[in-house]
Amino acid sequence: MVVGEVAVETDVIIIGGGPGGYAAAIRLGQLGKSVVLVEKDKLGGVCLNRGCIPSKALIHTADQYQRLNDLGKMGIRLSQERTTMDLGVWQDWKAGITSQLRQGIAHLCKENGVTVVKGQAAFLSDDRIGVETDGDFETYKFEQAIIATGSRPFIPSFIKVDGEYILDSTSSLQLQEVPSSLSIIGGGYIGIELGMAFAKLGTKVTIIEMANRILPQIAENLVKEVTRNAKKLGVNIKTSTRVEKASVVDGHVHLHVSSEEQGAEVVVSEKTLVTIGRIPNTEEIGLNRAGVTVGEKGHIAVDMECRTNVPHIFAIGDTTPGPALAHRASKQGIVAAEVIGGLPSAVDSPNVPYVIFSDPQIAGVGLSREEAEQQGYSVKVGKFPFSANGRALATNETEGFAEVIVDADNHILLGMHMVGADASNLIGEGVLALELAARVEDIALIMHPHPTLTEGWMEAAEAVLGHAIHIVNK
Amino acid sequence: MMEFKLPDVGEGMHEGEIIQWLIKEGEAVKQDQPIVEVQTDKVNAELTAPAAGVVKKIFFSEGDIVEVGTTIFTIQEENDVSVPDKKMIDEEIQGVQSVDVKVNAEHITTKQHVVRALATPFVRQLAREMKVDIEKVKGSGPAGRITESDLKQFKENNSITLNAKHHDNKMAQEMALMKGAIQAKGMGNEWEERIPLKGIRKKIAEHMVKSVSTIPHVTHVDELEMDQLKEFKNQLKEYSDDKDIKLTFLPFFVKAIVIALKEFKTLNASIDEKTNEIILKNYYHIGIATNTEEGLIVPVIKHADQKTIFQLADEIRQLAAQAREGKLSIDQITGSTFTISNVGPIGGMHATPIINYPEAAILALHKMEHRMVVRDLEGVIRLMMNMSLSFDHRLIDGVTAVHFTNRIKELLENPIRLVVEMR
Ligand SMILES: Cc1cc2nc3c(=O)[nH]c(=O)nc-3n(C[C@H](O)[C@H](O)[C@H](O)COP(=O)(O)OP(=O)(O)OC[C@H]3O[C@@H](n4cnc5c(N)ncnc54)[C@H](O)[C@@H]3O)c2cc1C
Repeated sequence: MVVGEVAVETDVIIIGGGPGGYAAAIRLGQLGKSVVLVEKDKLGGVCLNRGCIPSKALIHTADQYQRLNDLGKMGIRLSQERTTMDLGVWQDWKAGITSQLRQGIAHLCKENGVTVVKGQAAFLSDDRIGVETDGDFETYKFEQAIIATGSRPFIPSFIKVDGEYILDSTSSLQLQEVPSSLSIIGGGYIGIELGMAFAKLGTKVTIIEMANRILPQIAENLVKEVTRNAKKLGVNIKTSTRVEKASVVDGHVHLHVSSEEQGAEVVVSEKTLVTIGRIPNTEEIGLNRAGVTVGEKGHIAVDMECRTNVPHIFAIGDTTPGPALAHRASKQGIVAAEVIGGLPSAVDSPNVPYVIFSDPQIAGVGLSREEAEQQGYSVKVGKFPFSANGRALATNETEGFAEVIVDADNHILLGMHMVGADASNLIGEGVLALELAARVEDIALIMHPHPTLTEGWMEAAEAVLGHAIHIVNK
Repeated sequence: MMEFKLPDVGEGMHEGEIIQWLIKEGEAVKQDQPIVEVQTDKVNAELTAPAAGVVKKIFFSEGDIVEVGTTIFTIQEENDVSVPDKKMIDEEIQGVQSVDVKVNAEHITTKQHVVRALATPFVRQLAREMKVDIEKVKGSGPAGRITESDLKQFKENNSITLNAKHHDNKMAQEMALMKGAIQAKGMGNEWEERIPLKGIRKKIAEHMVKSVSTIPHVTHVDELEMDQLKEFKNQLKEYSDDKDIKLTFLPFFVKAIVIALKEFKTLNASIDEKTNEIILKNYYHIGIATNTEEGLIVPVIKHADQKTIFQLADEIRQLAAQAREGKLSIDQITGSTFTISNVGPIGGMHATPIINYPEAAILALHKMEHRMVVRDLEGVIRLMMNMSLSFDHRLIDGVTAVHFTNRIKELLENPIRLVVEMR
């Protein structure tokens, strides 16, 4: 550090340019604040560069690839006998998407007067940070700061990610060739999404999960369809199984696993993907010098305004406790920015929607039936299967159902969940309904366009009221 | 259990000092019974019990500075069927959350749900803007949904819990709210800024509109020659220094005005519109409207007619110091019968001051400066000061007003006469 360096002064400094950090930066720019956004790698963070977007691009590709096999049923004959997949070309296509999105963010930052600085930032005190760029060091003095450094894959000590045989989610999305076999440690949503995608591309996939089922955080009835489908795709699912050791032997990964039922065995595959959770990037940013405290797991506790224990320092996104999801990060980013801008903003909703791009997709918002019952509600549930929906039949996507959870006392919606084609887009109606404190009648009485999958919500709502049209009401 | 949080008794206030607890822990209280005296930016406010019950816990001692929104005491309500208090629910959520985190950092969970007030995101936002705790509002909408009008209703009802010391005086409450900085909410763009008209600015605005739309204002301007008074004041300097009193012009103005008010009674009066009566006041409480950094406040000198110049000087100094430190009580800023707007130190020649409703007149005193004037057909330099008198034309004729200012002029230009008339 140069002694006597001159600090650049700014109203707000943001560390991390992911969906949380850049949303905050743009909003602050709109509110007329001077903003410095420090990003050590690429704008867009995990979400854009190594998470949501690349994984969804891969999943979409895998769907297209697999769909070709189904076309025969509809009478389409492909001239080529065997479809092949060139993951190298796919990488270029993906790079095109992410770079377009990154440019978009950079442009928006610029237009809103945000100064983007490339470098690694750390707090020097509670009003200064230092930024290191290629050996250079610059200090910034701020009025307020937002910590948005996100998270990285958690890797247990007995495994070493080498990027070639043993992968984390990031390196798995950078493969140049479709692996012939892949074992995945962890049956959470990232493992399931990527596992099913690779299975569709022809990889022999094994998923090893410690809990007694995959997607243990999601209501069991929603997961069933996915489990069944995964098996159809040839995915080998080993639940209640733990990995004890991993080693690379002759260009293959040997995973030593054990379970009560099967005892000890060795799973051999070309590659292994470790995806058992993510940990916040809060260790190397000098939080102690700023006086910001972290919890046991490295998360920074914040209030509804996203303030840390140091009132002029905010934290958002994956660095804070709660579901590590991009939309939560963005919402918190906007709220933190507005609070700094003097507006009465707050993250005051428990309704964090979730989407899982499995096959079929799962999406939901609010309480599951079990959660609602645990909280002491008397609950009514309405369900409508896609197999009774015209559009689902016409597009050959009949798996899944829509489910609405209702407070029996006043018919207020408590939760809306769906497993099925396009659930990720359809959940928007659920989020709106819950946020507007709608009653189940509100959904039932709305005209839903026909033929669409949205009719599923309407019929599920009518089922609660005992008068669904397209199923027998019991 | 009901938590009582320190309310923002004047929008924009951030903290208050606990001056005195009027009850003890464990004591039973009635609804609206005074519980605690709190000193805020400029006034003392007595906060009263939101409900009948037993005061369970007091969290702060006298002398503590407490931030707005902090729970200062809890009340076990009379018919409390032991609803778990919010804190406990909060802790429960916390518990659930931290367990989740332990289980799996990659989790997606929906387990943060609690029974919460039913309201749309917009209504929630509105509640924050209005500084209303939405969880306390009863919804009148379908299935208990909280509507915009529920919020407004709640806000109105709740401001009653702030019992200013002078219930009888609506003005007192309004003035109590006129404190704290006006918080600019930067919502505009770089070319313009939009600040919601609320808080003390709004009160001032309403007050002004009421004054101007009720009272037909006429403003009359005259100028005074101050050389003699200045000389007189200078002569008193040694004496006042001995008594350790900083003598300004203001006590002399107050004195001259009081003398004139006694002679022109309709200027120390008000009209009761309800009963159609003129109220002539035989007490002389002079408000001194002062622009402070915190906004407009009007400290009042009570019974100004019964005080000596030095007493007035001392009192003015004290009031000013208290105003700066935000230590004025509601008592000290209400109840004036006539107001002086002392804009002189800032500058200006004329003004059309707006009467401090429901008074009958207001006198603005302008900058004192040396000006060329004509005396005995010769141009001479004199220390001059303008004054602008706005008066209620329903009550006071132009002639009376001019006589009134003439009398003030006479007294101030010839301090010996002032002394002779003083009681
Ligand atoms: C494979 C995968 C799939 C996912 N799919 C979804 C999905 O479908 N939907 C969803 O909602 N979420 C998804 N997520 C999660 C989502 O990506 C994260 O929740 C989101 O990116 C968090 O945003 P953030 O702003 O908190 O942090 P991040 O996106 O992690 O961004 C943090 C940024 O800070 C930078 N940084 C860190 N330390 C410093 C420092 N000291 N100085 C400067 N810069 C620093 C990093 O380089 C990074 O760019 C997925 C994640 C993965 C891994």
